[in-house]
Amino acid sequence: MNGNSMLTRRRAIALGAMGTALAATWRPRLAVAAEPIKIGAPLALTGPLGSVGQQLKRGCELWVKVQNAKGGLLGRPIKLLVEDTGGNPADAVRKAQEMVERDGCNIFTGITLSSEALAVVPKLDEWNAIFISSDNGDGRLTAASFVPNFFRANVSAPMGARAVALYLRTAPYKKFYAIGMDYAWGRNSVAVFKSEMENAKKDFVGSVFSPIGTKDFSTYITKIRQSGADACYVTMAGDDYNAFLSQAAHYELPKKVQLLSEVVDLTVPKAVGDAAIGLISSMRYCFRTDNPKNKAFVATWKKEYNAEPDNNEGEQWQALQVLAAGAEKAKSTETKALRAALATVQLDDINGHVAIRECDHQIVQDGTVVRLVKAEGFSYPVPQIIATFPGEKTVPACKQMTYSD
Amino acid sequence: MPSLSFLVTEIANALSQAALLFFLGVGLTLIFGIMRIVNFAHGAFYMLGAFIGYSVASLTGNFWLALAVAPIGVGIAGALFELGILRRLYRRDESAFLMVTFGLALAMTDLIRIGWGPEALQVKTPAAFSGIVMLMGEPFPTYRLFLIGAGVLVALAIWQFLERTRLGLLIRATSQNAEMVYALGIDVNLVRSAVFGIGCGLAGIGGVLAAPLLTASIGMAADMIIDAFVIVIIGGMGSFAGSLLGALLVAFVQVFGEYYLPNLALAFMYLLMLLVLVVRPGGLLGKEA
Repeated sequence: MNGNSMLTRRRAIALGAMGTALAATWRPRLAVAAEPIKIGAPLALTGPLGSVGQQLKRGCELWVKVQNAKGGLLGRPIKLLVEDTGGNPADAVRKAQEMVERDGCNIFTGITLSSEALAVVPKLDEWNAIFISSDNGDGRLTAASFVPNFFRANVSAPMGARAVALYLRTAPYKKFYAIGMDYAWGRNSVAVFKSEMENAKKDFVGSVFSPIGTKDFSTYITKIRQSGADACYVTMAGDDYNAFLSQAAHYELPKKVQLLSEVVDLTVPKAVGDAAIGLISSMRYCFRTDNPKNKAFVATWKKEYNAEPDNNEGEQWQALQVLAAGAEKAKSTETKALRAALATVQLDDINGHVAIRECDHQIVQDGTVVRLVKAEGFSYPVPQIIATFPGEKTVPACKQMTYSD
Repeated sequence: MPSLSFLVTEIANALSQAALLFFLGVGLTLIFGIMRIVNFAHGAFYMLGAFIGYSVASLTGNFWLALAVAPIGVGIAGALFELGILRRLYRRDESAFLMVTFGLALAMTDLIRIGWGPEALQVKTPAAFSGIVMLMGEPFPTYRLFLIGAGVLVALAIWQFLERTRLGLLIRATSQNAEMVYALGIDVNLVRSAVFGIGCGLAGIGGVLAAPLLTASIGMAADMIIDAFVIVIIGGMGSFAGSLLGALLVAFVQVFGEYYLPNLALAFMYLLMLLVLVVRPGGLLGKEA
């Protein structure tokens, strides 16, 4: 009895061990086939830049849908993790950390505000995670605040200002004024523009900064008129931008002063209508860029959302295409391998040929300057590309955010 | 030395800004005067006015219809809120109103976001006022002239309403001694509903009129409510003339402050409020002063 039961126990243990061994050999294989690749998107879906966060979300969702329909990435399905940060840097860090700890996520994108991105990047090493920026403009992210696990797959603020400045070298305007929203981005962008104008020996006659949330721009418009400038550089976003353009049009300011800006989303001409006509701006992504990849993308986008893809939507799509190209090159999404592959990744996509620069992980991409015009088939003024500059000319020197020439 | 044309333009700028601020401040002060409550949802009613105005204007192509319909819609929404919710709270202390109206502001903001979407929407300037006039050689939008006119007209109308009509009389009486009015056989609750509705309706007018300048957007409520509070505190809580004076002072200080000292643009309004609170804690035309 005793021996028998021993035997049974032994046999049971042996069986159990075999089972465990079998399971151990089977499970990883199953995991490789079914375990999804998780992409974390802690987005500012609410707050003052909520409309930007919503755009990034649409970009992520459609890309994941299209990619999964093609069989996913590296044969694995993709799972998108979305959380709302409200545009708050502390919340962005907390939500990203949750994705790392709870979901085992090691890839981030779509973090919306530069202030959020600047809060997240110091944690990337500890989390062993990669962050591919799709819209953060602040020059510091690829300069003083650069970390190896950060990649910027979008045009930065200095690159946007630079494209406009290069365009102005041959444009007929002589005297320049600038107005910016009174916070880091506005001041930084105006400073880059001012130094560019001074380098080009143009007459920069002054600047003014309006507090975020300014509603009545009449005094600022008076100041711009009185400056005697024939062009004014505007660094604004969201509600402030819409209010400024609407009121400038009421005062017929654009008849006397050409308005220029670093970046414009389609939400602006959609909100202010004809008041945006004539605005000259850089765009990070323009849906009218003429190449086959972009045409296919615009068609896919319109089918899904029944609208043209906006500035940030295109940049978000591009950021995920960069991720896919890096993962395929590395044949892995493991952080170390992916980082090495992304650092030199190149692809032909919606913005033409783009390449990540190894020294500071900034994407090198053509600079685009547009003018907003009325065009047939559109209910709002649309961007018309009036100049493009090769990426080598718009990208600053490695880990820099200003230009020397 | 500032030229005359500059002064004239800036005064006109300030008057047009004052008109918009007045629509907000006067509603808030009327509600405070009679109900002793601070309506934190006032900015949300103003925003609702802008969005209803957008829908009516874009469906019918008629701005004037929007200007007529939106304030009525907002006024009804306000009166229903008073009837359905605020009325149950009059026996509670003031913090209850603060919580409830603040909560309403948040809820309305999200409902508007769900209903109209997160993006800013264009309300076109009415064709009759879409040009400019030259003031001493400087261009000035006719729409802003219209705003000044509308502000004067509404101020006169409210003044006449308060002085000449039976409801106006009841409103003034209730604000002085609600129990006495009740004892005389008047349904004070009805007066309160009416005042809350009228106050919200005035905010709705402000929202429609501001929309061509600002677009109809989700952010407009939070921005505007602070200005409205400052106006009411400067003018005196509950004082109709005070809200007019407060709107004018804030607008002039803003316009000339932004011009001469743009780096302090945000501070002027609050410095003015501080000064008034130190000199006359009840506001310039307030009762407790």
